[in-house]
Formats: sequence, structure tokens, C-alpha cells
Amino acid sequence: MATGPLRFRTPHIEELPTAQSRQSAGFAWVAVSTAQDDPAKNWGTTNRKRARASLGGQTEQQKEALSARAQRETERRIKELNNDNSRDVVIEVAKKPGQSAGGGAFKAGKTTGTKKILASGKTFAHYLDDEEAEIARTGRREGEVEAPGAAQRASKTPLARRKAREGSSASNSPAPSAVVAMGPPRVPRAASTYFAAEPMPVDDLDDDGEDSEDQLPCLPTSAEMEALLNTPPLTYNQARAAPPPASMPPPRRFCETCGYWGRARCMKCGAMTCSVVCKDEHDQSKCLKMYA
Amino acid sequence: MARQKSLTTPTLSPNDLAPRTLILDNGAHTLKAGFSSPLTDPAPATPSACHIIPNCIARSTRDRRTYIGPELTTCADYGDLAYRRPVEKGYIVNWEGEKAIWERSFFSKDAHIDGAGLGCDPAETNLILTEAPNAPASLQRNADEMVFEEFGFGAYYRTLGSSLNAYAPSPFPSTTTTVPAGVPLECLLVIDAGYSHTTITPLHHGRPLQTAIRRLEIGGKTLTNRLKELISRTFDVHREDHIVEEIKEDVCYVSRTFPQDLEKTWKGGRYDGRELDTGVVVDYVLPDYEHIKRGFYRPHDAHVNLRNRALGIGTETGRREHVVTLGNERFTVPELVFTPSDIGMQQAGLCHTVLQSVNALPEGLRQAYLANILVVGGTSLLPGFVERLEAELRSAVDEDTVIRVARAEDPVGNVWSGGARLAADEAAVRGVMVTRQEWAENGEGWVRRRFAGKKGR
Ligand SMILES: [Zn+2]
Ligand SMILES: [Zn+2]
Repeated sequence: MATGPLRFRTPHIEELPTAQSRQSAGFAWVAVSTAQDDPAKNWGTTNRKRARASLGGQTEQQKEALSARAQRETERRIKELNNDNSRDVVIEVAKKPGQSAGGGAFKAGKTTGTKKILASGKTFAHYLDDEEAEIARTGRREGEVEAPGAAQRASKTPLARRKAREGSSASNSPAPSAVVAMGPPRVPRAASTYFAAEPMPVDDLDDDGEDSEDQLPCLPTSAEMEALLNTPPLTYNQARAAPPPASMPPPRRFCETCGYWGRARCMKCGAMTCSVVCKDEHDQSKCLKMYA
Repeated sequence: MARQKSLTTPTLSPNDLAPRTLILDNGAHTLKAGFSSPLTDPAPATPSACHIIPNCIARSTRDRRTYIGPELTTCADYGDLAYRRPVEKGYIVNWEGEKAIWERSFFSKDAHIDGAGLGCDPAETNLILTEAPNAPASLQRNADEMVFEEFGFGAYYRTLGSSLNAYAPSPFPSTTTTVPAGVPLECLLVIDAGYSHTTITPLHHGRPLQTAIRRLEIGGKTLTNRLKELISRTFDVHREDHIVEEIKEDVCYVSRTFPQDLEKTWKGGRYDGRELDTGVVVDYVLPDYEHIKRGFYRPHDAHVNLRNRALGIGTETGRREHVVTLGNERFTVPELVFTPSDIGMQQAGLCHTVLQSVNALPEGLRQAYLANILVVGGTSLLPGFVERLEAELRSAVDEDTVIRVARAEDPVGNVWSGGARLAADEAAVRGVMVTRQEWAENGEGWVRRRFAGKKGR
């Protein structure tokens, strides 16, 4: 740990335990699959053991710091990509009265309430934080006056979940659901053929128990359906898509210079490149030198 | 409790609706707005009644003008425009901006602005306003208060945009029976690939199954911003949102053979250079708003010196020509909808988000929803979108499961047409509307519960 930081002052070559590895100043080659291997299947970098080995020269703490930092950087970039406004500019709505449409158009609100709404500078993040705080405090959403049972159902999960992801931001909070199974939905065979026959099927859904066919045991009764329809909405954070199933291949890596498969990691900043050409360009202009 | 204070003489008795309804699908990128009425329009409103209006305030550093909503269509130079959008993450957050846009779009009588001046008198109009699912309650309350207290609409119905799709004509070609206006389709899984994000909403007779609604936080703007970032590696377009959006619409597509397309667009290594496939790699000529009003693309020409062209050397007309070459950007950008992990996002792609939604439904309902998937929203216009989704879904479920995916004929206007058909049915629209008097008498909590589908008046 004491000698750790020194290693990163100068670029170093990393030797990888593979026959295919080549060396060049400042980066390490990761074994590359050929086109025939179908890189889609192995998602660019193939051997996970090898990928781990490429970080072999670092201590656990350094690895952690690196990944935590990279994670923060990724989250910052995603947030930027999801920005609604083009960039940080302040554009005033013209306030001069008598301007083009409707003379009194820019009166700042007709009632105390709308005045307040119109003057509010709150962003979506503010509203979301307010609501989450409200649920944390009261166990339910503002103005939600459900029957106790329903209210409890609405709030139980959020409370439990919030604890689990305290401090974690928008990009990582799996949504809860009645059925958490991630695999393909298990659909009863009989139901599929039944539904395939008609373009707009499921008339029988409302038939409340009359439907005695054993092939369709799972169709909810109309009472169950009504209960389902009356379940309160999830909160904004609960509705977010959960991570992909664990069975999915690991994330693909791309060359940050040209967009092709990323095959070598810059030892200074962690960026991926595909070739010497792209690595050279990276070194000249794009290297962030995060850890240098 | 009652809000008598703010109630002016009502022009309508409590249960009376205004003769016509403004359907307003209030998207983050554009408003889809127009009237529908059971009296004057026995046939459900035609798509031509739907006006598409930019939902933004734009500031040009070139002519130093500020364009509000419909005024943007008069802008002659979209270069270097900065945008401010009242809708954030799909919800109306900034009412100051939204009000300015609504006023120019609906209440103004300025005939010279195209698309503006719908000539709407709120007191004589019912409003159907769409919202994104899972909205914070405070934002819903703000909307209700603005609609009644600030704009003074006669009656109002706030609903999930997605749920109105159930009233639009069925997109499935095999449907032979014509469903009358005002009657929702029975089972529909709506994928709304919008500007802010992509939502999945299962509907039962037009009513949302709330616990199964999911949101993938990749939308049209994510793709535009990503494309902007990628193009800016070689040509700075950070301040050119409008142009990059056009580039996206012109050249981006969802790949069905991602690894192969990636090979076709690789220049190769230093010693094993490759020929780029000009079937994929294109040269995009940027607009200059002088001679070229709209950018366009042509097959990539490796022999052209782009630097000279930018100086006007070697072009046919001798004019300067700014060209960006687009290769894998064309399909790696839309790929984010299906593989968000490509930018490190820890959310499942569209296919698995759909399955997360379906798996949250009772088992007996799942097949019905997988066989009735409707895709709407501007992002679904990307070529290959529906095919890719369908292919991924098929390979993710067992082979007995029926998967049927259809894109609405007009994916941008489908929510609006659904709303227009709902409003054309007098009994149906009466059943969902809250009048201004009811608002005044019962208060905002009651109104929010009504819109949440709670029974009991
Ligand atoms: Zn490269
Ligand atoms: Zn670097």
C-alpha cells in the first residue's frame, strides 16, 4: 500500500500471461477474438481470467479506488447524456408585457397557488427528493389516503428498498415487483394457443370463475383483476428498469477513439482502444490521465 | 375545504361538459394537440387535426432571438440553438416555460405562426392532458392546479399518455372487427419509446396495471446526446442539438447483425488496414442555413479531402462544405436502447425490461400481454427497432410463447388519436372528466384520487 501510488506516476507496460499478447508503451494488449469467434457472444474481451490478470500489478485498494472512480465517472456521464436541456444556459421567457401573443400572457399567476408554482425554480430532482423524504417520514405518499391495507401495501416495499440503496443514485436501483423472476416468463402452453387464436383475446378474463377449463388455471378472477387495477402506482425510483439477468454476458467494451471493439486498456486513464493507431491518437489528444 | 374563493361564475353546470375537448399529449420534445368533439365530429377526429408543436424555448446566439414553442417553426437558422424544456424526465416541471408555450400554442390568435393559435377558450373547453407514469404527487397537484386555477379549463382529465393508446385503432392487422370510438382494447402492452425515456405499461381495458409499469432510462435525447458526443470526437457539434437530432433521424438504425456491422466499419490496424463498407459508412453534409437548409448524406468517399472541402476546394459549386463521416455511430447509438450496458448503465435493455414488466403480472395474464405489444413514440421510428425487439423477445421466451409486436401506424400521434377517439364518445369522456365546479367543491386531493382511478364521487 505504501508503494502503491508510485507505480502510477509513470506509464508502465503490463505483461499478460498469454501467447497472443504484444507490448507497446503505456498499454496492454488483451487477447483479441477473431471475427469468426463472433465477438457478440464474448463481448469483446474474452477471457475473464485474463482480464483480471491485466489488473494484476495492483493492490486490492488500488483496484477498488479505480473501479469506484470509474463508476462515478460513468454515472456522471450517463447523467449528462440524459440531460433534458441542451447545455447550461439560462433562457428567460420574455417578460415584457404586450409582446406578441396575448397582452396579459405573462402575469405571474392568477392565484397564490399558481403564483407559487410559476415562480418555482425547482427541478425534477428536487421534487423527487421531496417525495422520497415524505415516504421515508410518513410511510406513504403525499395526499395518499388509502384504506390502511392498501396504503401499507404501497409503502412497505419502498421503505425496505430505500434502506438498501441509500445514497445510491438513479442508475442502480432495481425495481421491486410481485414476481422478481428474471428469466423468461413461464407461460402455460394452453394459454398461448388460446390467446394466439384471437387478435384481441381474453374476453373470458371478466367471466369471474365461470371459466372452469383446467388449461387456464392462472387467469385472475375479476375480483383479483379489480384488486390489481386498484394497486397504487410504484414510485419513480421503484419503476426503474432493474439490471439485466445475471446470465447475460458481461458489458461489452468499445474503443473510445473509433467505436470498434475495445481491446486494450490505457494504463493511465482506463480508456479502451482497439489498435495502435487509436492508442496513438488517444495518447496525443484524449488521454484523461486520471491516475497519472 | 371547498375552494369557493377561486370559483368564478361557472359557464357549465356541474355535470355539463364543454362542447369540445382539447387533447394534449404533452411530450418532452413536442406537444401533440388538437380538438375532438362528439357533436361536430361524428367520425373520430382525423390525424390532420393533430398539431405537432415544439415543446421548448430556444435561444439563438446568431439572431439573438428567443423562440417560444410554435415560434420555432419560423426560425431560419437552427445552428447554435440552445434549448430549455419545461418537461423534465417526462413530467411538466417548469410551469413558467410551459405556460408561455401553451399560451402561444392554444390561446394565441396569431394566425401567421404556423401551428399556433388553436383559438382555444379554456372555459369552453375540456382538457385531456397526458402525463408520464410514476409521477411524484406534487407534480400532479401542480398540473391540476394550473389547469383549473390558472388556465380555467371547463373540465379536465389527466391520464397516462400510454393508456390513451388503448382507444386508438388496433395496430394488429389480423384484427377484423372495428372497435368503436370510446371502447378501449382489452389487453395491450404499450412500449412508449419517447424523448425522455422508454416506458412499458400493461393496460387492461385502457386501465394501467400500475405495479407492472417499468421505465428504461434511455430515450431519444439520450441517443441524440450520445451521437453528439461521438461526432464531437472529430468535429465539434456540442452546441448543435438540432443538427445532431436530424443526423440521428436521417442515418441511425438499429442493427440486426451488430458484430458484422461493426466489422464493416472498422478501418483496421496500422498494418492491416481495411476498406470501409460504403454501404454502412456515409458522409453527412451539414446544413449551413445559407445554401443547405437541411443536412443530407451520401456514400462515404475515402478520396475526398474533407479539410479542403471545408475551405470550398474541390466542391462542385466552390462552396464550403462541412462533412462528417459516420460509420459505426449509425448503429452503436440506437444500440443503447437494447444494450444500455454499452455506456455502463446498469439497467436491462428493452427486451428484458419488457420481461420484467410482464413477470410482474399474474402468470395467467402474461401470454395475453406478450401477444399484444404496441410500440409508440418517436424513437421507435428508428429503422429496425421493432424487428430487433421482436427477435430479442422471441429468443428470450420459450418457443410456445406467442410474441406479437406492432408499431402504431403513426407512433408519434397514436396517443393523441386515442385521446381524440375517447373524446368523441360523449358517455366515455363524461365518465372520466372532472369539471371545474367539482374541483372547486371537492378539492385537489379528491381530484387526484379520481384520476388515480379510485371510485366514488
Ligand atoms: Zn479504435
Ligand atoms: Zn489514456
